[in-house]
Amino acid sequence: MLRLLCLLALGVLGSLRCFAQDKPYLPYYSRDTTQLYQLAVAQRNAVKAYFVVPKTGSGDYRDHYRRVVQEASDDVYNSIRYSALLDPVVEPFVQQVFARIVQANPQLPAGTRLVLTRNPEPNAHAVGNGTVMLNIGLLPRLENESQLAFILCHELAHVACRHMENGLQERLMALHSKELKREFRRIVNSEYNISSQVKALVLGFSLNNNYHRRQFEKQADSLGYVLLTHTRYEAPQAYRALQLLDTIDEPENPAAIPLNTYFSCTEFPKTFGAPAKPASIFTVKAAEQTVLETTDTLKSHPDCGKRMRFVQALAKGQVADGPQPASPPEYARIRDASRLEVIQGWFDYDCYDHALFDALQLLPQQPQNAYLRSVVQLSLYELRQHMQDHTYFEVVSNISTHNAPSFNALLTTLHALHLEDFKGLSTCFAQADAPAVPTNEYALAGHYAASALAAETTAPPVVALKTQYQQQYAGGRFEKLLFPVPKPAAKRR
Amino acid sequence: MLFPTITSHLLPTFYFHTFMQFTKRTVLAALLTLAAPAAFAQTKTLDGIQNMHRSALSPIYDGNEVKGYVMFAKGDKADRKNDNYLLDLYDQDLAKVSTITIQKPSGRYTLLKNTFNGSAFAFYFYNGNDKTLEIETYDTSLKKLGSKLIGELSKGDLRVLAMQAQAVDPAAGGMMLGLNLFPVPGLGFVRNGYTGGMAKGYTLAIYDNKLGMHWRITSPEDAKQYESLSLTEAADKYLLGTMLRRDGLLSRKVTSYMIVLEAKTGKKLLDLPVETSATEQLSLSSFTFDADKREFVAVGEYYKLDDKPFVNKSQGFYVKRFDEAGKPVSTKNYGWQNEVAALMPAEAKASLEDNYVNYNHAIVKGANGRMYIVAEQFKIVGNALGIAAAALNSGGNSSVSKGKVGNMFVFELDPQAKLSSVKFYPKTVTNATLPPGTGFMGAGMLGQIMKYQGDFDYQFLQKNADNSQFNVVYVNFDKEKGESAKTYVGNIGFGDNGKYVVDKIEMPSGPTFSYLYPAKPGYVMIADYYRKKSQLGMKLVKLNI
Repeated sequence: MLRLLCLLALGVLGSLRCFAQDKPYLPYYSRDTTQLYQLAVAQRNAVKAYFVVPKTGSGDYRDHYRRVVQEASDDVYNSIRYSALLDPVVEPFVQQVFARIVQANPQLPAGTRLVLTRNPEPNAHAVGNGTVMLNIGLLPRLENESQLAFILCHELAHVACRHMENGLQERLMALHSKELKREFRRIVNSEYNISSQVKALVLGFSLNNNYHRRQFEKQADSLGYVLLTHTRYEAPQAYRALQLLDTIDEPENPAAIPLNTYFSCTEFPKTFGAPAKPASIFTVKAAEQTVLETTDTLKSHPDCGKRMRFVQALAKGQVADGPQPASPPEYARIRDASRLEVIQGWFDYDCYDHALFDALQLLPQQPQNAYLRSVVQLSLYELRQHMQDHTYFEVVSNISTHNAPSFNALLTTLHALHLEDFKGLSTCFAQADAPAVPTNEYALAGHYAASALAAETTAPPVVALKTQYQQQYAGGRFEKLLFPVPKPAAKRR
Repeated sequence: MLFPTITSHLLPTFYFHTFMQFTKRTVLAALLTLAAPAAFAQTKTLDGIQNMHRSALSPIYDGNEVKGYVMFAKGDKADRKNDNYLLDLYDQDLAKVSTITIQKPSGRYTLLKNTFNGSAFAFYFYNGNDKTLEIETYDTSLKKLGSKLIGELSKGDLRVLAMQAQAVDPAAGGMMLGLNLFPVPGLGFVRNGYTGGMAKGYTLAIYDNKLGMHWRITSPEDAKQYESLSLTEAADKYLLGTMLRRDGLLSRKVTSYMIVLEAKTGKKLLDLPVETSATEQLSLSSFTFDADKREFVAVGEYYKLDDKPFVNKSQGFYVKRFDEAGKPVSTKNYGWQNEVAALMPAEAKASLEDNYVNYNHAIVKGANGRMYIVAEQFKIVGNALGIAAAALNSGGNSSVSKGKVGNMFVFELDPQAKLSSVKFYPKTVTNATLPPGTGFMGAGMLGQIMKYQGDFDYQFLQKNADNSQFNVVYVNFDKEKGESAKTYVGNIGFGDNGKYVVDKIEMPSGPTFSYLYPAKPGYVMIADYYRKKSQLGMKLVKLNI
């Protein structure tokens, strides 16, 4: 009987775990920002305390140093205060990876710390005082924990080598050197063609800086690789991580978004093609690259190809090359959660074009994901609001050769839209799937957005949804955005 | 990065400019760096701009559509005698294309006009020190094609240039024409000029893209009347223009003629008065070619027989059609108080009865054959303070009359040139100060002075490539109070879809100046200049039309 009860209890627990695992992830949000504030203040103070203004050097040099530290500490404060992610799923995971690296490398300076941010751009950086900032945008682009570990090792290597403080001192010394001042004075006194001479001087200074920064990157890759070998993570994945970084600007899924499937229906029979962008009358070719440029000397970082070859040599050829087997389940779960955080990150930063694009890209894989459907409706709603307010230029990117073709295709469509089109887009999109019963804040906000796109905001169903949201989620994530308090009319000068 | 930071990024970073407003999106840009050159919003911010005048930036047209912008700026000194001047070129999305640096004599060197003829750009400069003109042409890859110095300017040219420099509204037309460079697709550019000390006659010369001259025509030396010719259109094989003839420079009796030239040779094919009977007194505002019907179309205003065109108050507007030989085909007249008033909405009638008269800003023909005339009301009222001061000072410098600018109209004519609708757009009445002595002038002349001074709210009209959609842009602010009193930018959209839509853009109060420029179809470009920050923010604002 006891055994039966135990089995039953285990079964219940097991099913609970299954339920917990099956419950769809929702981007993290907390009304309480106390922890963020405390963390931001602590980090700002830590940066200020770490970078002590040197007692040597000219007054200009010391003032400049002080200013850089002040600006940097403010940047760190703002980054953390407004974008640090303290969710219960992804953050503990990355902290665990970080802790394992630090534990395996006791020679690292004390006081290192990792901050995960909601920044959707795939990148990471180290701050001089030992803090490593990891953007959520990087996580979906990596295949496993070992690749993440290498990225963190690379940033920790910068910390260990004191690259930030050395770099700052070197650059400030150069900037305030007698030679540079003398050269600047000579240019100003020369009277003619000052602008082009200053430009040449700045370019030279910049090249010199970049040369040093590139040296730092090489060192960070080298030491980062060594740090990784001390951990339980797979060192060959360092090479693959760099390989992934090499193509990080390309979208994960290059397929075009099936706009006709989502946004064309009987009520709004619009055909979405890819109308050619109006051709430019200019046929100016990009400036021919000089030998310096083609050897990437102008860049602050060496090309990933070079970095990969360097790591390959370090690893004596023992590298993981090409796509890796499917991500381990735990990392796959983190990737999935991160993808949604990335979408929410784009949305929170008013990048509705990116939020819409990423949500539509993910929908074919997760057609029933209510969160993704909500983001689509919310993005359409915000885009229409901005178009109405004549601020569309702030939230829709330019079509550019730097973008993926599939993103440019969406941008072409967004640029061609008119105010009245948003109702049709929303209606068709809502038809593509039965409307979800709003069971959480995102779904309810998405539901409200769809209703407000379909009818006047004073229509009873729209008002009812607004009331429901305000009652259920007072102070919620979307309250200020969807129901802004009208500003008192400003007095004109 | 150039300046020191205390961070080290995994991937190369790129700090970029975007519009200066503090938005969350820009916070993302500033705080968090991107791995690739970003192509964010359709904006451009330029730093280090010491001063900014509207004319420093001008749109580049390819046919009807704006395809880019050129910014002309003076840079540093090149040598003892020359300065570096910069021509910064942007595409229609405000992406920087390139900069052309030219070394030209120091001092007063101005860009009169930029123009594009489909295959080459031409920049038309005036050297105020040497009193010479210069044209430079470039191909679409911005490779220089040619350069032409025009050294011997007539006194008439110089007189017109001086007036041109003072005009606030570069689109001011009528009798106040300027030196211009007119693009002719497939052939090159036509330059106009004035002969004699009193600008008695005209010259026209066409240059190919490398600035070789192909033909030149000039008014007959024995011409008895003063003649000024303005090109209006390069269509089919023709160059069309309007000619104003009068007995003397200050003569108030002006007669309008329709001129048609053969584009290839400059041969004059037609030179006809628009008045086809002795019972007409007409002015000519627009002269175009209808390629479908092979007819020329003239639109202007008509006057009482004892009144003078351009000078007195007009009675209405007319549409006349001529065949290719210049023979009249049809004439239709629409009186302000009769046919136009009959179609006017009730709310517009009050202003008509309040002595307002119309100034016709633009006349365009849609792809559907319909014609649209854009007009704005104005009237002159006595200024009590000015009258008192004038009486005390025996007519000193105080202005005794004040201009008032009223509402906007769009008159629509069907393909048979029948007036089919009158659209009325009420605006806040704004005031304008007129120069002394203008109180004695006729309404027509006053309208032109107000246009010349930039007193009207109308800014420009935009067309798409196939003439199926138009929008009229206007600004509503009191000219007496200055641009800080500006309230909004209005847009009236209309076209083949038969819909008239109005859209209003609230203007920000932060910038020192805000300038409006034409943009690609469906947009306007707003340039905000912040003097304290020495910063210029350009943005493409999508219109809800």
